[in-house]
Amino acid sequence: MTGESRVVGLFTDAEQVVGTLKAFKDSPWSVRRVYSPIPHHKIAEALKLPKSKVGYFTLVGGIIGFFTGFLLAAYTSIQWDLIVSGKPIVALVPFFIVGFEFTILFSVFGNVLGLINVSRLPDTNPPVDYDPRCSGDHYGIVAACPPDSRDVLAAFLKERGADVSPATPPAAG
Amino acid sequence: MSELTFAQVDQTVLDTLKPGGKSYWALIAVLFCGVLLGAGCWLYQIFVGVGVAGMNNPVAWGTYLINFVFWVGIAHSGTLISAILHLFRAGWRNPIARAAETMTVFAVCTAGLFPFIHLGRAWMVYYMLPFPNQRNLWPNFQSPLMFDVVAISTYLTVSSLFWYTGMLPDLAIIRDRATGFRKKIFTVLAMGWTGQFEQWRHYTRGYLFFAALATPLVISVHSVVSWDFALAVVPGWHTTIFAPYFVAGAIHSGLAMVLTLMIPLRKIFNYQKIITLHVLESVAKTIIFTGLIVGFAYATEFFIAWYSHNPLEQYIFLYRPTGDYAVGFWIMVVCNTVIPLLLLFRKVRTSIPALFVISLLINVGMWYERFVIIITSVARDFIPHAWGTFSPSLIEYGIMLGSFSLFFFLFCLFIKHMPSVSMTEVKEMLE
Repeated sequence: MTGESRVVGLFTDAEQVVGTLKAFKDSPWSVRRVYSPIPHHKIAEALKLPKSKVGYFTLVGGIIGFFTGFLLAAYTSIQWDLIVSGKPIVALVPFFIVGFEFTILFSVFGNVLGLINVSRLPDTNPPVDYDPRCSGDHYGIVAACPPDSRDVLAAFLKERGADVSPATPPAAG
Repeated sequence: MSELTFAQVDQTVLDTLKPGGKSYWALIAVLFCGVLLGAGCWLYQIFVGVGVAGMNNPVAWGTYLINFVFWVGIAHSGTLISAILHLFRAGWRNPIARAAETMTVFAVCTAGLFPFIHLGRAWMVYYMLPFPNQRNLWPNFQSPLMFDVVAISTYLTVSSLFWYTGMLPDLAIIRDRATGFRKKIFTVLAMGWTGQFEQWRHYTRGYLFFAALATPLVISVHSVVSWDFALAVVPGWHTTIFAPYFVAGAIHSGLAMVLTLMIPLRKIFNYQKIITLHVLESVAKTIIFTGLIVGFAYATEFFIAWYSHNPLEQYIFLYRPTGDYAVGFWIMVVCNTVIPLLLLFRKVRTSIPALFVISLLINVGMWYERFVIIITSVARDFIPHAWGTFSPSLIEYGIMLGSFSLFFFLFCLFIKHMPSVSMTEVKEMLE
């Protein structure tokens, strides 16, 4: 990205963000990232992002979980092979319940690990173009352009309602 | 609510995090005293022995198990609101989802203490853990009590992770507006969340899976709790209706607790524009529904007892409304099935004081439901010469008071230090 310049446009209206993202398609510049206080579905559609792969982690976690739970119950039962209540040593119905609970537990572990992994969290070095107002009531579009067209890009964003001047949010109580 | 702006939502919630006044800390001190009292009673029981409780032969399951089931039940509506209603896209759940999830986590923590207390020798809890040992003694996973260990620990873990994950965007909001040491704490807690769409893309997917996994989990957990009873061949317990009956009862009590907590919360924290009357009314309508299911379950139990021609079953269902614990039975019936019907009237369910009183009565009724189920069946077992009665001892009352204090203590600490309303989800509603 040598010689690339970035401009951050802050919006207060999601519709303006959607309109601007569409306008970028016919422009020579590219959108590097979009910040949003909420997961706005119209912005997601305009960005045309691919489906998240978190589900694969969840699925793998669930499969591992079921076998862990079921096999743990079966193994411990085989180790102490005393028939209780006339049930077989490896009793399918009760052990399925243990397997089910472990499926959920490990699916959630997979889900969390997947989320952390694909979202690159925890992020100890957040992007320098992050404006704290974007967690509150502003949407931010970070666009990249050659250094000589920075002013044109800023004007393009301003024209669509963006605020490109930096500012800090009010302090919390 | 639509007249609110994003900034107003943030400011309303951030205002709740301002340092608490004298009355807040006085309340915390009172609740902490309650916790100490409960802890003291438990310590006394540990030193003297479990005989200090009112449990006896044949009533070996007393208030400890009643409170265990009660708190697990309270925990359930948090997941109903955060997970099940999320899947159904019920927008009214957004303002109360965080507080309900918080209620779930602290209620499971409180519930989780009771099996330890009930054990008497609490340090023997490791018997329930499957770990390699010299004598090859392993827990019996065919027992519903072991299902319970697995289910409750899974529920606590899952609901805690769900709760924390849901809080990430809100923690980032606080981080961005905090200063000094608080900023450092919230920077760590927010894990570098910036709200990039790349993050939202994974987050929304992950959150959806969380909800989809928590939904069968919540149903399984109280089903498993009900099997602690239903798998025992005891009159009044050994019935297939127990799982759905317990799940509906759990949600019934949990929704009532949501109202009990939300009504003062919205008043104290000026949440009236966020937790609107419509939200409370929607909870009330759901309570009518769960109350009807619970009423249907009560009636079915009596019908099956009559229809089965089983004299033991018939005796138990005659004993409950007319025997030693008839008062408890009628409190249960009136509070859980008759009083919620008052919510059919719009005037009642839009009256805040009426909603609050009804929610308290349902909480009382649901506690008595567990009392009636647990005590009456074992007090009148198969053999008349082994019959007995049960009354809780002062130690049990102390521990029960301690458990309520602990729950409210944790909840009150949370609401003043963390966002008690999900700012992000409320903003989603506004869009």
